[in-house]
Amino acid sequence: MPNVKLFASLRKISGIKEAAIPGTSAGAVLAELVRQYPALAVHLLDDGKIRPHVILTINGHPTDNLDAALAEQDQIAIFPPIAGG
Amino acid sequence: MNGWNGRILEIDLTTQTHKSYPLDMEMAKQFIGGRGLGVRLLWDMVGPEVDPLSPENVLIFTNGPLTATGYQTSNRFSVSTKSPLTGTVLDANSGGYWGMQFKKTGFDVLIVRGKAQKPIWIEIKNSEITFHDASELWGMRVFELTEKLGQDNNKRNVLCIGPAGENLSRLAAIMNDRERAMARGGPGAVMGSKNLKAIVVEGTERPEIMDQERFKFLLYETRKLLAASPLTSQALPEFGTIMLMNIMNNVGALATRNHQQTQFEGAEAISGETLSETYLVKNAACWACPIGCTRISKTEKVEGEGPEFESAWAFGAQCGIDDLAAIIEANSLCNDLGLDTISAGSTIACAMELSEKGYLDSDLRFGQADALARCVEDMAYRRDLGAELTEGSLRLATKYGHPELSMTAKGMEMPAYDPRGLQGQGLLYATSNRGGCHMRGNMIGLEVLGLPKLIDRFQVQGKSSFVILNQNSNAAIDSLVVCKFTNMGVADEYFARILGAVTGVQYDTGDLVKTGERVWNLERLYNNREGFTSKDDSLPPRLLTEAPTDGPSKGWVSQLEPMLKEYYRSRGWDQNGVPTPKKLAELGLENLVDPSRTLEKIA
Repeated sequence: MPNVKLFASLRKISGIKEAAIPGTSAGAVLAELVRQYPALAVHLLDDGKIRPHVILTINGHPTDNLDAALAEQDQIAIFPPIAGG
Repeated sequence: MNGWNGRILEIDLTTQTHKSYPLDMEMAKQFIGGRGLGVRLLWDMVGPEVDPLSPENVLIFTNGPLTATGYQTSNRFSVSTKSPLTGTVLDANSGGYWGMQFKKTGFDVLIVRGKAQKPIWIEIKNSEITFHDASELWGMRVFELTEKLGQDNNKRNVLCIGPAGENLSRLAAIMNDRERAMARGGPGAVMGSKNLKAIVVEGTERPEIMDQERFKFLLYETRKLLAASPLTSQALPEFGTIMLMNIMNNVGALATRNHQQTQFEGAEAISGETLSETYLVKNAACWACPIGCTRISKTEKVEGEGPEFESAWAFGAQCGIDDLAAIIEANSLCNDLGLDTISAGSTIACAMELSEKGYLDSDLRFGQADALARCVEDMAYRRDLGAELTEGSLRLATKYGHPELSMTAKGMEMPAYDPRGLQGQGLLYATSNRGGCHMRGNMIGLEVLGLPKLIDRFQVQGKSSFVILNQNSNAAIDSLVVCKFTNMGVADEYFARILGAVTGVQYDTGDLVKTGERVWNLERLYNNREGFTSKDDSLPPRLLTEAPTDGPSKGWVSQLEPMLKEYYRSRGWDQNGVPTPKKLAELGLENLVDPSRTLEKIA
């Protein structure tokens, strides 16, 4: 199943750095992730949509498309809002 | 006078004399301050016949009308000169407290000309200027010197060079308030070439504000906006810029081992997350800044500011090093010696590749954490191989027959973001007026972070319009002079409104962007006059022809040529990248060489 890696404050909030989370779309994996780690919900989702400035990558490619289909071996990375130069 | 003090202080080191005269307010309204005013004055004062390390080069320190008003991040200031590293126009800006304090002396601009016969330092207490013998200070490192000259954050502020500047390292920084740096392009060497060790300021005047009530309300509004933005209220204060390490690595845009790869297996070990768990003491802020992005780190050997993302990258992934303590110590050493961390790290990386490939007879190898401190010291003191490294990677690589191994644009070492993973960033580096720089307009917001919106990082067509908007906007912000991080919570229109409230001059967002475009075009003209052409709008061959063989950027090279054609067209330049007369007229630059408007005439 897809592997999810968490970064920055999301690690402290959830207590984990990564986990295998089932789902066939990015949205489904996110929904299952917050179901297993409810403390993440308010930081990642707002009314079912991904919160502004939360960064999601699938196999290293940033996307804001929660309908993106996922394969079993896909790697998902989630970052909270990040800034810098 | 509102906002601006309306005065220029000019110091001649050769004669150890000074004079002050009015700031041309029409010029000030057109260019505002900071980088804009700096390049306008530099245009008049330093032409193509001037060697950057000769007495004829100048240092132009500039404030802006918002400086010292108390507006958020109104602490920053700028220096303009001709770069000894690149030969291009150069501005560098810094935070801390010195800019605020200099504004309080009653001047907007400090111009330093000539060369002292022996080392001196200058003290400016309001309008009282004193020249001091610096013979006993010459050789002193930045931290010790700053303390010795009486640094007191809110009252007395020290700007100085370390041994790197004294030894004319082309990578030398001008340091202020102990660990703040005007780093890129070698301004510290210009200061060292003038035998000028330090400038200390103490001021008591406050800038006047046209509409106090409106100013206070806008201050309140922007404070709320910065507190509401997760970027300025959480991301930057909590994690600092080093938090970019893991995400840039994740997307395959983290230049590694002299740009040979785009991902680093040791990225996690030198990330913001790891810093938070190990060496981080706390965060810190510049004067009048509610964000607090500075890190204070402590290892067994050092404690101080940093590392920023770029510094951690330059000594880390770029050198193949995953030892965070060694990186922090190298960063601190650069601050104490007065060196640019990005160019220093990237030049060491270049030397590592030259050595590994047998072109340079040296024991330097990627991954050697214990080589960092030695290299940095040797660069500052021009010792052994350090004497060659301190000239920058392009001169180094050229000397050993392989200029293509210098990861530079216009001779300045590029920062962390690998253009093969970010097409827009590549165009940005190639067209940057001061060389390989990410602060002219950062595309990672759009291409990776979704700030304000995510765009396709591999797309080429249409990318130039985003780059141009970024470049113009950043040039305007650099001319105000405020910190670009405020722009992550506060829209451009607020800058226009606050400028109006302070100065009484009505600007709208379009005026500010136009100012930025004006500054950009004048910088371009300056470089054209120096002999730079469209051939210099380029990237190293590696980024144009060698695609990564794995990772998310696999198979991609920078598609610079089509982007550049589109860029010139969109800029209103001819096919050779020269601003057209029509564009110059649109920006009010057509009479640039009007004899009645040169600085000498004004003085």
